[in-house]
Amino acid sequence: MGDSQYSFSLTTFSPSGKLVQIEHALTAVGSGQTSLGIKASNGVVIATEKKLPSILVDESSVHKIQSLTPNIGVVYSGMGPDFRVLVRKSRKQAEQYHRLYKEPIPVTQLVRETAAVMQEFTQSGGVRPFGVSLLVAGYDDKGPQLYQVDPSGSYFSWKASAMGKNVSNAKTFLEKRYVEEMELDDAVHTAILTLKEGFEGQISEKNIEIGIIGEKKEFRQVALFIFPLCVSA
Amino acid sequence: MSRGSGAGYDRHITIFSPEGRLFQVEYAFKAVKATAITSIGVRGKDSVCVVTQKKVPDKLLDQTCVTHLFPITKYLGLLATGNTADARSLVHQARNEAAEYRFKFGYEMPVDVLSRWIADKSQVYTQHAYMRPLGVVAMVLGIDEEKGPQLYKCDPAGHFFGHKATSAGLKEQEAINFLEKKMKNDPAFSYEETVQTAVSALQSVLQEDFKATEIEVGVVRSDDRVFRVLSSEEIDEHLTAISERD
Repeated sequence: MGDSQYSFSLTTFSPSGKLVQIEHALTAVGSGQTSLGIKASNGVVIATEKKLPSILVDESSVHKIQSLTPNIGVVYSGMGPDFRVLVRKSRKQAEQYHRLYKEPIPVTQLVRETAAVMQEFTQSGGVRPFGVSLLVAGYDDKGPQLYQVDPSGSYFSWKASAMGKNVSNAKTFLEKRYVEEMELDDAVHTAILTLKEGFEGQISEKNIEIGIIGEKKEFRQVALFIFPLCVSA
Repeated sequence: MSRGSGAGYDRHITIFSPEGRLFQVEYAFKAVKATAITSIGVRGKDSVCVVTQKKVPDKLLDQTCVTHLFPITKYLGLLATGNTADARSLVHQARNEAAEYRFKFGYEMPVDVLSRWIADKSQVYTQHAYMRPLGVVAMVLGIDEEKGPQLYKCDPAGHFFGHKATSAGLKEQEAINFLEKKMKNDPAFSYEETVQTAVSALQSVLQEDFKATEIEVGVVRSDDRVFRVLSSEEIDEHLTAISERD
């Protein structure tokens, strides 16, 4: 995955043992728009702010939440163009798995392969790390799952997590509100309230995106007509 | 303990700065502004219009070769704002890609697919050190079979968005402010209104009245679907209509 013109890695150790390019990539993630995910007992919800640079932008052309397979969805914080690359690579990996095993790829496998790609870009020649953190939401035989993948390529499973500008407030809010046997509807409600916490300006169905996956194992974007009912609380 | 900027290379190749920024990408945006040209694109109910300044630096130059408006296929147009050499390279590759797409899949490449392809290529240049980002902002226009008139803008960072109206170049922000006021209530402009909004936006932002030879105008219309560059006479008609209106 490296470039033959650059046979050396651009991400190298500092004297204190840190990989500074990865730290800078995390800073880039931290200045991105807030996104979060919550795992419920019967599904997973992921959500993100969708603040566009101008009212002239056609918001129906922007999709920050994407599906990787029919039962796995993903959202990001950080650099949009890098996200598109990872979505494309992950979709291809999922399809290759399916071609070989005639089975949908388990969530953990897809996360592991995506994380491996991100790690490659921290070590290969002539490339920089990805400036995104991903929240992968899926539902397979092991039940609902939520994973966060960082620019370094490390990944963890979460009950609820947040990323981006408002990460500390969002995580505090989630810690307070998270209940072990939460249902998906409550999780969606909590997700919207968490987004509302740090939202600059007026939150509406035009400037957020929400994706859910339930027991039917179909990842889909929520049509936000339910929105007024949630926000009035 | 980091020496602050990775030995200073973060300004020379696309690696992260300590604040998580990509300086080379930001400098590419500055290169777009350095050409001192402003471009504007407006999407109407059944047409899309793009306008750009035509500055011929030398009277001895053949004016027909100074252009920023390029047909990619019969139905897709591209307005490139920024470095002309980078623009020509991008246009060449885009034409190739659109032609292959038509051959491979049997139908014309849609506007958003071409824009995504351009943006993905730009993203590769922001991540691989061996190629610098292109100093070009590309506005792609066409009529989509399902979605109607479409205007997309792709930048050196690899972002691409669909727009109701947009601008690029030196006076980009002023133009966007002007257009936001005009498009606030989601007006559905007719073809004439679309062209006149684009041209008058450029005139207002640059605070000068143009002659037909000083601007280039490209349009696509739902009834015609073919990308056309307007001739001087047609531009004159629109300019006259604008001045009579005011």
